[in-house]
Amino acid sequence: MSLGISIVRDDARAKVTGAARYPGDRVGPDLLHAVVVFSGRPHARMVSMDVRPAFAVPGVVEVVTAGDIPVNEYGLTMFDQPVLVGVDGTGRARVASDVSRWEADQIAVVVAETPEAAAAGAVALDVDWEDLPVVADLEAALTDEVLVHPEAGTNRYVHHRIRKGSPEAGWAAADVVVEGTYRLPHQEHAYLQPEAAVAYLDDDDRITVEIAGQWTHEDREQIAHALDLPPERIRVRYPAIGGAFGGREDMSLQIVMAAAVRKLAARGIRRPVRCVWSREESIVGHHKRHRGIVHARWGATREGVVVVAEVDAYLDAGAYNYTTNKVLGNLHLTVAGPYEIPNLRVDSWGVYTNAVPGGAFRGFGAPQGAFVAENQMNRLAEALGIDPVELRRRNVIQEGSVGPTQVPFPAGVSMPAVIDACAEAAERPVAVPPPAIPFASLPADESRLRRGRGFACAFKNVGFSFGFPERCEATIELHGDDEVERVVLHHAGADVGQGAHTAFRQMAAEAVGVPLERVEAVWSDTAVTGDSGSASASRLTFMAGNAILGAAEEAEKRWRDGDRPAIGEFRYVPPPTEPFDPDTGRGDVNFAYGYVAEAVEVTVDVGTGHVHVDRVVCAVDVGRAINPRLVEGQVHGAIVQAHGYALTERLVVEGATIRNPRLSQYLIPGIGDVPAHVEAVIVEHPDPVGPWGARGMAEMPFIPYAPAVVAAIHDATGVWFDEIPLTPDRVLAGLRRAGVAQ
Amino acid sequence: MKISVTVNGTRYERDVEPRTLLVHFLREDLGLTGTHVGCDTSYCGACTVLVDGRSVKSCTFLAVAADGAEITTVEGLAADGELHPVQEGFWERHGLQCGFCTPGMIMSSVALLEENPSPSEAEIRHALEGNLCRCTGYHNIVLAVQYAAAKLRGEQPPPADWEEVGA
Ligand code: FES
Ligand code: FES
Repeated sequence: MSLGISIVRDDARAKVTGAARYPGDRVGPDLLHAVVVFSGRPHARMVSMDVRPAFAVPGVVEVVTAGDIPVNEYGLTMFDQPVLVGVDGTGRARVASDVSRWEADQIAVVVAETPEAAAAGAVALDVDWEDLPVVADLEAALTDEVLVHPEAGTNRYVHHRIRKGSPEAGWAAADVVVEGTYRLPHQEHAYLQPEAAVAYLDDDDRITVEIAGQWTHEDREQIAHALDLPPERIRVRYPAIGGAFGGREDMSLQIVMAAAVRKLAARGIRRPVRCVWSREESIVGHHKRHRGIVHARWGATREGVVVVAEVDAYLDAGAYNYTTNKVLGNLHLTVAGPYEIPNLRVDSWGVYTNAVPGGAFRGFGAPQGAFVAENQMNRLAEALGIDPVELRRRNVIQEGSVGPTQVPFPAGVSMPAVIDACAEAAERPVAVPPPAIPFASLPADESRLRRGRGFACAFKNVGFSFGFPERCEATIELHGDDEVERVVLHHAGADVGQGAHTAFRQMAAEAVGVPLERVEAVWSDTAVTGDSGSASASRLTFMAGNAILGAAEEAEKRWRDGDRPAIGEFRYVPPPTEPFDPDTGRGDVNFAYGYVAEAVEVTVDVGTGHVHVDRVVCAVDVGRAINPRLVEGQVHGAIVQAHGYALTERLVVEGATIRNPRLSQYLIPGIGDVPAHVEAVIVEHPDPVGPWGARGMAEMPFIPYAPAVVAAIHDATGVWFDEIPLTPDRVLAGLRRAGVAQ
Repeated sequence: MKISVTVNGTRYERDVEPRTLLVHFLREDLGLTGTHVGCDTSYCGACTVLVDGRSVKSCTFLAVAADGAEITTVEGLAADGELHPVQEGFWERHGLQCGFCTPGMIMSSVALLEENPSPSEAEIRHALEGNLCRCTGYHNIVLAVQYAAAKLRGEQPPPADWEEVGA
């Protein structure tokens, strides 16, 4: 009744009228303004910091430093980062707090009456540094000559293995071998709303932080840990969130803004504090999609059966782990593709450098994995003279297939059907409009244009993996007398723009069996909602849907018992997972997957190196589309973001320093750059444990895009590329090397 | 400096520092936070407003330069609770996700349709080149503007592509 229909998003009206409030939108004379000071040094030891010159700036009210953070450590999965770098650390932390390991390590928060005074105070701080040798990139890090975290003993601080079958036997059986070294770039999230927060004491004197994040309760946990306060004394609320894509999973302003409020309160100052980052602060100050280097060697029989793969992968973790160990796990799992390969060796490492940390970003390691796997597969298809789609059909995982982790995939494997759906749709001719905007400022010379088609597919887990205690809570209240007149859903899940709240309300209406109009909701506030887990890993629809189903059942039971209102609380716990075995990689690492395939058509100008994507067909198994238009919105958005990854977005990181932290220099796709024609093919093959069969999907369409584009460029020009983004200069250089262009 | 501006039909006399940007004046002094700031380089278009009917990136426009002008922000489009056709288009055609780019997109679209009531798809894309969106992939934004254009011409808006396929 309420599922499978495309109601307009609940927040649409507020967003088209300007009424929606984002975290930086609180204004007024009662505000204090904060500036977070970055070290500006990729690797240096702080010798001293004198805050007195900052206090001498008129309007400066307070300066927060390391000494104000009782437990000066932060990390979502490992406490390896000081919240504030400084010489006045309390000593209660597992990481040395006097060393800056990244140019955006935070060293102080200056609070003042105006933003200008705060900025002047930040400049006035008198800091002495002793520079240390900088570990600029993977190559430098792998020598271990300089250690970023000496306590770890090596820069290669995390290592995963897969040992399946016998690679020797595989090589003996292989007739054809393809080998490649792939270089994956950083990617910046570039959510349009830069980081911002307002922090204050609420009516119950809780330290309250209003911010755009992805997991209210984890933010609260991290603040409570660092400030050594019980979590109940902290409150985290999310107003409207201006995009996230994984980039708001780690802390930016959460802990330091809470620390500022606490320090002010100790002086009797109870005013709210606001901090809004500039775009430059945002790009320098938060993590990126990991850059990395992957070497892969695959072998197949003449008949097109892949019999062996060996892979060595390195991800640049940057200065701190963030979620590198998990992202690496996902790359590790996906780097041999959705294929049943009997003999497999994979070694992957996360490596510390002094560059910007790598972390969560839509796809979470799977885009890097798929780039390698799908390029290898497409090159094999060429070497074997077999159609790329056909080659996939001969190797693809099926229901019951044993994966790289040597246990069967969870039930509900739909990769073959998704490949077929994509290939079929791509064969149907459509009238693709000519590129709306010419390649460059001049119209292209027709004789230089080459056209080609490419294909790729991918899979990725839904929900957290590797033994994480995955869970999601929901509360449902049923109000009324004889019949349910009003339903109130309490849920913390973050609507980062994907429309989660709208889908949740639809699921609540369906679960209770009332019309949508009767469902209200309370969202994303640790004071009034239970722990939802993160808006990441394509998990929210899946996890929240199951939690809503459980809460509705519970509430209905109480309703039958006569409770008015009847309140059902439920904590959904999915099937358990386990980590990789450290020696073999064996393990039941995930409970559900999403599957996707893409076909693209491109035009390449061999005179200029410009690549235009004319058509994209994306088939994605969503299990059950709760709101089909929102699902399609995720397809369109993910493809354009992947388009940037594949073709336009080049973050320049030299000497561990970001050189182009501006949207005028780091080019995300504009409306004139995007594929001319995108078709979303929604496959609904139910997941056996998904709510109403739904799977997660928001990451999937991103994942196979870059390798599909590479294959299409090869089809057009005969040249393989093993590095992205394929900016015109890089394409032209490659074409020239191959003698295709002059 | 003293300035006098009309914003969304209301006249304001205010003292501003000469260096105050129009976007900060609108947000901080008038509390009109529907106009957003997404960059420091005049690149993203989130701050777009109309100054005397022309679309302007208010992050690169001084408040004092608006002295005597008529300004329209996203808050000023709906009349008596009735959405402007462009707002309705973004609503109806799912032209937004996080919504941060939306006010700027809407204002640029309003300016386009005032100048060109029947833009082609290429003209729509050209007019919105100065507005970035990281979420939607732009497809539904084009549909939203086409919807609004038809509405403003007094015609039945074209069906969305999903309506054509009968979904
Ligand atoms: S804020 Fe980005 S163009 Fe004005
Ligand atoms: S909807 Fe998020 S930037 Fe456009």
